[in-house]
Amino acid sequence: MSRRESAPLWRRDRWVKPFFKQYRKALAAALALGVATFVFAAALMFTSGYLISGAPLVVTVLALNVPLGLVRLFGVGKPFLQYFERLASHDWVLRMTSALRLRLYRAVEAEALSPRAKRRTGDVLGLLAEDIGHLQNLYLRTLFPLVIAGVLYLVLVAATGVLSPWLGLAILGVLGLGAVAAPLASVLANAAREARRKQLRTGLYDQLADNVLGVADWVFSQRGADYLAAHERAQERIRAEQRRIERFDRWRDLAAQATFGAVVVVLLAWAGTRFGGLPDGGSNWVAAFALGFFPLIEAFAPLPAAVQEASAYRGSIERLNALPEPADDEPGIDGDGGAPQPQRPLDIVIADATFRYPGTDTDVLRGLSLSIPFGQKVAVLGRSGAGKSTLAALIRGDARLQAGSVSLGGVPCAALGDGMARYLGVIQQRTYLFNAPLLDNLRIGRPDATREEVADALRRVGLAGLLERLPEGLDTYAGEAGARFSGGERHRIALARVLLQGAPVVLLDEPFAALDPVTERELLDTLLDVFADRTLILVTHHLQGVSRMDRVVFLGEGGVKLDGAPADLERESAFYRRLLALDAGMAAR
Amino acid sequence: MMDRFLLRLPGARPMLAALAALALARAAAVIGQAWMLACAIDGLRAGGALADAAWHMAGFFACFLARQGVAFVQDVALSRYAAARAAQLRRGLLARVFEEGPALVGRLGTGGAVTLALEGVEQVETYLRLILPKMACVVVVPLALLAFVFPFDWVSGLIMLVVFPFIVFYMVFLGKVAKAEAGKQQQEFKRLANHFVDTLRGIDTLKLFGRGKQQGADIWESSERFRRATMKTMRTAILSGTVLDLFSTFSLAAVAIMLGFRLVDGSIAFFPALLVLVLVPEYFKPIREFASDYHASLDGKTALAALVPLAMPEADEAGADADGGEGAGALAGGSGDREADGVAGRCPAWSESCVLEARGVSFDYGERRALADASFAVRGFSKVGIVGMSGSGKSTLVNLLSGFAAPAAGSFFAAETRPGDGAAAAGAAPVSLGDPSWQRQLVYIPQDPYLFHATLRENVAFYQPGADDAAVARAVAAAGLEELVAVLPQGLDTPIGEGARALSGGQAQRIALARAFLDEGRRILLFDEPTAHLDIETELELKERMLPLMEGRLVFFATHRLHWLDDMDLVLVLEDGRVAEAGEPRALLAAGGALARLVDRMEGGCR
Repeated sequence: MSRRESAPLWRRDRWVKPFFKQYRKALAAALALGVATFVFAAALMFTSGYLISGAPLVVTVLALNVPLGLVRLFGVGKPFLQYFERLASHDWVLRMTSALRLRLYRAVEAEALSPRAKRRTGDVLGLLAEDIGHLQNLYLRTLFPLVIAGVLYLVLVAATGVLSPWLGLAILGVLGLGAVAAPLASVLANAAREARRKQLRTGLYDQLADNVLGVADWVFSQRGADYLAAHERAQERIRAEQRRIERFDRWRDLAAQATFGAVVVVLLAWAGTRFGGLPDGGSNWVAAFALGFFPLIEAFAPLPAAVQEASAYRGSIERLNALPEPADDEPGIDGDGGAPQPQRPLDIVIADATFRYPGTDTDVLRGLSLSIPFGQKVAVLGRSGAGKSTLAALIRGDARLQAGSVSLGGVPCAALGDGMARYLGVIQQRTYLFNAPLLDNLRIGRPDATREEVADALRRVGLAGLLERLPEGLDTYAGEAGARFSGGERHRIALARVLLQGAPVVLLDEPFAALDPVTERELLDTLLDVFADRTLILVTHHLQGVSRMDRVVFLGEGGVKLDGAPADLERESAFYRRLLALDAGMAAR
Repeated sequence: MMDRFLLRLPGARPMLAALAALALARAAAVIGQAWMLACAIDGLRAGGALADAAWHMAGFFACFLARQGVAFVQDVALSRYAAARAAQLRRGLLARVFEEGPALVGRLGTGGAVTLALEGVEQVETYLRLILPKMACVVVVPLALLAFVFPFDWVSGLIMLVVFPFIVFYMVFLGKVAKAEAGKQQQEFKRLANHFVDTLRGIDTLKLFGRGKQQGADIWESSERFRRATMKTMRTAILSGTVLDLFSTFSLAAVAIMLGFRLVDGSIAFFPALLVLVLVPEYFKPIREFASDYHASLDGKTALAALVPLAMPEADEAGADADGGEGAGALAGGSGDREADGVAGRCPAWSESCVLEARGVSFDYGERRALADASFAVRGFSKVGIVGMSGSGKSTLVNLLSGFAAPAAGSFFAAETRPGDGAAAAGAAPVSLGDPSWQRQLVYIPQDPYLFHATLRENVAFYQPGADDAAVARAVAAAGLEELVAVLPQGLDTPIGEGARALSGGQAQRIALARAFLDEGRRILLFDEPTAHLDIETELELKERMLPLMEGRLVFFATHRLHWLDDMDLVLVLEDGRVAEAGEPRALLAAGGALARLVDRMEGGCR
């Protein structure tokens, strides 16, 4: 790991380089068009210079036919070449974007739900998606212009070198200062500054976000002005870095432009001595050479800034490369092919399960054993950290045990992969709804469900009224992250989704945490009604409704602390009675 | 094309004038450069010695550099100006964010506020640097060059003059079509990007339904569909750039050809012809630069329009009068409420003998009335429970009590009373609860107290940054945080909060309690569902810590966990945005009114 980290980014990159190989022809075409655009622009000035130098010397216009035709050709051709160049390069970049998106998706998908993976918040995911946009810019704004300018530089040196080796050498040297040395110097001088500025800026971003999230406390503490002053000081540090970068940029641009001016002077001097005063239109070349170079300045001048800008994308490339490598084919994961088939009845058996999170030294579960026969309604309780979520992840097959086993119908849960969805429906604490039509959100579990079936599922979970109120019924969009629906509605939609999915075992992971007690009670009624014939595992943090389950399991100290039917527990356990009394409070009176 | 917010920025007009002068200097340098170059070519072509042309060549080089020098000076001035305006906008925005707090942040969104303050301001800075000099150049340079060319060669001048309005016409009219097209494209792109992020965020859900692998194919499919659609529209959209280019290269070719013909018949001399030819590309350069940066500056334009009403209300109002107010201030709305509050009086330092009274307080969310005509009075250090179903107005009342929202109608009254004055704050002046005199006495403990990305000590001592170790230790002990401190690697100095060590909900509550214990001066506690999401064992432990904190303080406690009512002196029962009942909890329960109904619905015969 550390070795890979220390290798140069360009060497270990797995995100930018591979795509150069893809669609190689399209890439070559785009670059060739880019070079041709500048060649035409230069040729237009070149032939125009030749044309007006030659015109006074000829007797009839006919003699000018060739330069006239060329002026027309280059004049009309250049914009069209540029047009096709832009089309070709954008097409290539968009193709690459599709591939990058797929790759990013696979990388994120590979570690989703695994309890050992870092949680990626929506912001982080947004950032990764933006990184792909940055890569687009890297291609369009840095790499393409760099390659095109490089080709032009070589062509120009070669062409002038053919005319005169000394001229070629002079162009190689003088233009090299502006087109090669200036970008290089830029990177050397400013890359570190850019990195520092970027680092300061990212730090400031996190800091500001942190404090805006806690803005209520700043208002109560009446210390907002303190924070603003600190923020301004941080901004001033960034600005100072920025000023240093800009000062360098200005002098660098001035120096680079001076070399371009010098190139014109060199060409003029050479053409003047070589062609000046020649008879029969030979002297026409003087103006041609002097003017021809001007359009090329536009190819070379933006290079230093472009190269410098690329260093800002370093973070994006680093971030993408830090993602796990998506596995291309995972045998047996796709469910149907060769995956083991659980046998009925679909009992869940957990035997001697021991689990600890990587990098920690305490076991969350220590030899936990628990069997849940098919059809049982079990409530799982315990304080935070007691292993409730770990237990849920184990049943889903998303966590690997240090010791022991978890199986469904005799098959280890972890071996079922995506096929698990046929046996197990899960309702999470936060129901995620996609910003897609309600219909699509509901059909996730069963893509071939008819509209009637979907509407029926909604009715069964008590959303008939909602369906009628929606302006476009099942085709109404859910809004960003399901924002259109209230917390209670989202939970019911999640129920309907699992109902449609038709899995015989349903696992609910703290589904009521954000709901008020009335909504919670009503939801529980629905739940027990629609899932009456299935196994129901309800992970919860308080006792409301628990008495209606078949069995209550308290987790604690790495294992099962208390286990029994609610009525038995109420009779036999003082601990359980104490919690019940607290939960009921004055209502029990 | 013209941005009305731009000219309203302080110093924008003088800056534009200076830039116009610099543009004139640029035109002069360009002319000098062309003149010297034409002289040198003319001499060399006729077979003149290189030494004779050397002066002209040196002159060309000097003018070439002078022109870059103009760009240099322009950049220095603009960099300073744009940075100053950016800083001004940022300070204005942040001052409002940290003064108005959650009300404004709620409207902008946390991400929105942060992005606007950092990226938005940066975009404005870039926008100013890009657009201001180009606006000056696009007007001044072509005019100056045209004025120069005409006396030398009116034919070329005419070609240039005729083409220019076509370009402007094209940019304004056809450009609009292309822009709409590009805008649609941009929107489609955003939609796709959002869809992609949406898929990534919902990846757990997809995987739970066994669709993780399948969705990858969908992403590829929609991305490729977008590419094909984009390329189709791009074919027409980028034509605008091509046509612009075509105009300029075409007129260059036309000028060259016309010059060629007239040189043949001798109606023009070589020197002026060459001079004109060299100047033609320079004539079109400013408008090409303007067009190429136009799209790059669109973000900045949008950001400026969002920032000015928020951060520079004076500049906004100045223009709103002139433009008849296009409602750009919609986002900034609500600032007026606070100003209205300004007239209200201050709250007394809270003591046993103080009274807070709400008279006919109402609040609306848009069309919906969230709280109607709420009246109640609380006295001294009493403990007030606030209960009701979701949507009953509980959160609204808490918001009003915290001072982050101001009543739409009605007022709060607070006063210190003498014994025997009764419960009501008779004759007291109305107070604004958004006033520092109220807020600095308040500790607000929500369901998820926010933990700053800082050390545990800094988080505990947030209201009292100068607190000594002994005081912090006492607060930590009182909140029951000693166990946590003992297991943290650096004890009190361990960084916590987002991205650092994750703490459980119960631990976060304890830290909020420790803050309250540490700041003895804050005598008003406002709890908003502090234990709703905690497991019952943790809730039990926390309750033991919270009850002592409530002694000797005025407490508002919004909850739907009914066991808390045992410890309340007074309960406000909210029903559909009204205070349905207020009184001693046991008495209300016995009376079988709103509270009894609520308890019944919550239990619903579960047990």
